[in-house]
Amino acid sequence: MMFDRRLIENFDWGFVILVFLISSVGLVILYSALTASGQSVDGLPVLFKRQLIWMVSGFAIMMISLIVDFKDLDKLHLFIYIICIGLLICVLLFGHLGGGSRRWLMLGFVRIQPSELMKIALIISLSSVYTNSLSSDGLNFRKLFKPIILCLIPFFLIVIQPDLGTGLLLLLIAGTITIFIKVERHVLISLALAGLSTVPLVWLFALKEYQKFRILTFLNPDRDPLGAGYHIIQSKIAIGSGMLTGKGFLKGTQNALSFLPEQHTDFIVSVLAEEWGLVGCSILLILYLFLLFWGLNISYNCRNMFGSILAFGITAMIFWQIFINFGMVMGLIPVVGVPLPMVSYGGSSVVTNMVGFGVLLNISMRNFSSN
Amino acid sequence: MLKDTNKKAYIRLIIVQFMMVGLICFIGAKSFDIQIFDGRKLSIMADNDHSRYVTINGERGNILDRNMNPLATSTEAFSITANPSEIKDPAAIARKLSAILGMNAGKLEKQLSSDRKFTLIARTVPPAQKDQIEQLNHPQIFFEKDSKRLYPNRDLAAQVLGFTGLRNQGLEGLEYKYNEILDGQSIRIKIKKDKKGGVLSLNQLTQLKGKSIVLTLDKKIQFFSEKTLEHTVRTYHAKSGMALVMQPETGEFLSIAHFPKFNPNNFSAYDQAIFRNRAVTDPFEPGSAMKVFTAAAALENGFDPKAIFDCNNGTYKVGTFTIHDTHPHDWLSINQIIKFSSNIGAVKIAETIGNKTLHQYLTSFGFGEKTWIDSPGETAGSLLPYHKWSKIDASAISFGQGISVSAVQLISAISTIANNGLMMKPMLIKKIISSSGEDELVYRPEPVRQVISPDTARKIKRMMNLVTHEDGTGTKAAMDGYPVCGKTGTAQKVRQDKKGYSNTRYTAVFAGFAPLKDPKLAILVIIDEPEKKYHGGEVAAPAFKTIMEESFSYLNIPPETDKNMIALMSGGVKQ
Repeated sequence: MMFDRRLIENFDWGFVILVFLISSVGLVILYSALTASGQSVDGLPVLFKRQLIWMVSGFAIMMISLIVDFKDLDKLHLFIYIICIGLLICVLLFGHLGGGSRRWLMLGFVRIQPSELMKIALIISLSSVYTNSLSSDGLNFRKLFKPIILCLIPFFLIVIQPDLGTGLLLLLIAGTITIFIKVERHVLISLALAGLSTVPLVWLFALKEYQKFRILTFLNPDRDPLGAGYHIIQSKIAIGSGMLTGKGFLKGTQNALSFLPEQHTDFIVSVLAEEWGLVGCSILLILYLFLLFWGLNISYNCRNMFGSILAFGITAMIFWQIFINFGMVMGLIPVVGVPLPMVSYGGSSVVTNMVGFGVLLNISMRNFSSN
Repeated sequence: MLKDTNKKAYIRLIIVQFMMVGLICFIGAKSFDIQIFDGRKLSIMADNDHSRYVTINGERGNILDRNMNPLATSTEAFSITANPSEIKDPAAIARKLSAILGMNAGKLEKQLSSDRKFTLIARTVPPAQKDQIEQLNHPQIFFEKDSKRLYPNRDLAAQVLGFTGLRNQGLEGLEYKYNEILDGQSIRIKIKKDKKGGVLSLNQLTQLKGKSIVLTLDKKIQFFSEKTLEHTVRTYHAKSGMALVMQPETGEFLSIAHFPKFNPNNFSAYDQAIFRNRAVTDPFEPGSAMKVFTAAAALENGFDPKAIFDCNNGTYKVGTFTIHDTHPHDWLSINQIIKFSSNIGAVKIAETIGNKTLHQYLTSFGFGEKTWIDSPGETAGSLLPYHKWSKIDASAISFGQGISVSAVQLISAISTIANNGLMMKPMLIKKIISSSGEDELVYRPEPVRQVISPDTARKIKRMMNLVTHEDGTGTKAAMDGYPVCGKTGTAQKVRQDKKGYSNTRYTAVFAGFAPLKDPKLAILVIIDEPEKKYHGGEVAAPAFKTIMEESFSYLNIPPETDKNMIALMSGGVKQ
């Protein structure tokens, strides 16, 4: 494969800087979340060091992935998809049990969460399938059959871990891509109705007690202030007490006294909000908005349909993670375990997002009229 | 570009873009809502979350004797509190705590199972037990500094001091009467949840401490009198006894002793009937001790101590009643009536001066009225208005029956004679001092009134001195080197069926002071229902003497050479 000089010329430095900025902000918040809870006495907290290693590795993976032309992913999509499904099955068989569910796989001394990688794999597969079945009228049932199967296999594998949050996120991303591709109106309506009709069935048969409880608690946090509602109430208190400008770096009190569970993973926004206030939240949201715009920009500037859909899908993935995480922490949606991209602690999440960014960069830098 | 390849897809992309902006802005708006609109409220909640309120109870003030020896003080102790709303395993904790504190585990479990954020488990827990509980290391159990009342001299002056209850509140005696002064201030302060102890500086804690009370009592004299009283009560198998020591010049009490005693550190082990300060609360019929006041009334009305009255050889009928003397006499001077304690003589004096005069003087000596001493539950005794006196009442009152007085009233009246007729308000409290040790309120000796003229007082003193001379009823009170003035009293107690007086149950009294010329101390000894012997001169007078001797020795009071006095007095009697 010849190295094209245009790759360097088209390299999207701005995007890399943006990713770097968000990652840095994420590390600052994570540091605060970790030190305040007294996880380490001298030097950097262990988890912070690990996250740093993941970020650097992720960055490296992102850069290395640029060597491969994103168009090759079109051909490789089924292979990638099958590998990820295989990993998900491995999780169910040999997975590492944590917090009541099997989500992690031990690969040597590295613990990975295949459901994170599955997001990217699904986006690539859907992009590939949709590229070949585009029509101006929109997708009909027959054309939707394959994508639906592609979605439901990983969805069920993830839900039985159980990890409903990631499963639903997967459906949300797939749904967003599908609607973007355009679906025939009557098909869309029937699917929506079908989806709605399953809600009571899901409630009765599929949801576990704790999941029902979480949803009920979300609707009324005060019904169980010390149990399931505890997270929501404590999170709101932490965010609210930050007020306009926050209490200052490492000055958070809710954070310091460990009132917040999961404050370094899913609830990390509360640390940001408490210490940096509305100003801090707004700055992070604006950075994310830039990132999303960049992603969409790559999507519609792409001359290749596969690239467009892929870029859109990855942007949608990032968007939904941001929205769900913020929404959950602020009490807008029920508590589901969705990490905040580049901020929440978690290696698989960092690597998945970095790979996603890599794909975006890849599309952006290879966007010259060669075919 | 998508724009060119698929125009509709491009439009959808733009729509998606707007939706993303919209949703992100929605999150921003929610953030604004929480942080700006609800920010203040949530900040307060955050603050409450990691702060909690603790009550700091200032230490209770001390009760000290006149020489600043502690009679009641406080030691370090702790209150144990908990936040039951966050206790997940109340049964286990209740079991552990009840084992340490000796409480009912079931009750404690119920207390810890509530949804409340605060509950008081125990107060006045000693440091050793607090340490044990601290080792349980339970995050929802808290300690607050507190204090426990301690009476270092155990039963000394217990009836005067009283005691405090479980919440350090005064329940009896001075602890009760001066609860508000002694009580430390309590403040509720907010502290960080992670903070342990050392919340207030020593200076701040001192400010919270209650005021201390300095009594007029002298620990040593209180001790002598209690010891002597106990010995006397035991010797005569008496029911109970009291011994009061007063400085006539100032009205200050140096001792108020009771027997039986109790230990206020462990008051619940005693019968509560003995808790009260009976010297103040209980009236009794003083018997012949009252004759000195009858005599004083006569002298004030122009009678001479040598004026003589016919004592009818020991039997005198008043209406249907017959009054007897222990030893029959024919004619006695007022001096002799007192010395020999003639009932008939006292009746004759009363008849001569009249009911109104007698009543006037008895009232003036303070009988039938409260002295307003600083002790709760004071009795006024009972002295009927003279126009309600029957014939026998008038006669009996002259020798101390049909009138009831409190021990405080009696010693105060006796001290009036010692203090040249000037009555002083009985004092129990010398001053109140602030927690930092400064005088806040100093009580000064307070004259009540001139009851009798100094001349009359001098004559009565001499008369009372005769009582302790040979042939007097109170010879057992006589001391070497100090001329003693006194008066015996042997009162029959009212029968239990309230019909007349008992012939077996007596109150033995000796009231007096010494030395004659310049009396330093007045002492009253009352022995209730002594057995074997029952005369005041036999039972109470020796105790009076012992207390006086030990007190004089302790106070370094120089002997008074009373040669002249003896010569003068005996001469007077002979005439």
